[in-house]
Amino acid sequence: MKIKERKRDGIAILEMSGKLMGGPDADAFAEILKTQIHEGVKNVIVNLEKVKWVNSTGLGILISGYSTLKKNGGELKLLKVSSRIQNIFMVSKLYTVFESFDDEDEALKSFS
Amino acid sequence: MDSIIELKIPSKMVYLGVPDAMLMEVGGDLSCQQKLIDELGTSVIEACTNAMEHGNKLAEDLFVEIHFAFSDEHIQVTVFDHGDGFDYNGWQPPEDLLRERGRGILIMKEFTDELDFGISDDGRFKVRLTKQIVPEED
Repeated sequence: MKIKERKRDGIAILEMSGKLMGGPDADAFAEILKTQIHEGVKNVIVNLEKVKWVNSTGLGILISGYSTLKKNGGELKLLKVSSRIQNIFMVSKLYTVFESFDDEDEALKSFS
Repeated sequence: MDSIIELKIPSKMVYLGVPDAMLMEVGGDLSCQQKLIDELGTSVIEACTNAMEHGNKLAEDLFVEIHFAFSDEHIQVTVFDHGDGFDYNGWQPPEDLLRERGRGILIMKEFTDELDFGISDDGRFKVRLTKQIVPEED
């Protein structure tokens, strides 16, 4: 998995690509969030448009990130989730946890 | 008669996408709904994740074997590992939505038409995932 970071309106946007499957990916993602929080960024949008697939350990990475940001008074929201991945969120009921958007501007607006 | 394809991959997470790619390649030519292939692929990734992590304890010299059987009616995938398996009858879906692990069986169960666990003749643990073919809508 690769992660590109950028910021808009004080919100971190993490563009992930490849396969989201735990292991070293979990450490890389946790480290990025830690740095963001240290820099005062509490809200994060994770763009999954270029993620081919997610497995259950990959879901764990997103849940861990969600919980970390929540504890720090922030939120993690998802952007451009493919129908394949959306299907996993449905069966695991995680769609009730993660807010998801198709449009970046809408996702940014949702934090205000 | 079923067409059979067999794959053997080392217990390294980096290879998890191989059976999925194989399924996408062959499944894409089977005039069935893409959603069905996606769901089976996701289930196979889960089965292989479990086989590598829990079955083979990520020992790279232990292989995960995956057998694909394609027919006009169904696709059946069997995943073999060297672990002891687990008590599927005692399995319960996770209740805590924020729990970070433990969704693999739920995903396999939801995305397949039949899910069986057992021990193969040569003593390996096996998971068999079956998906019925639903013709593509015009």
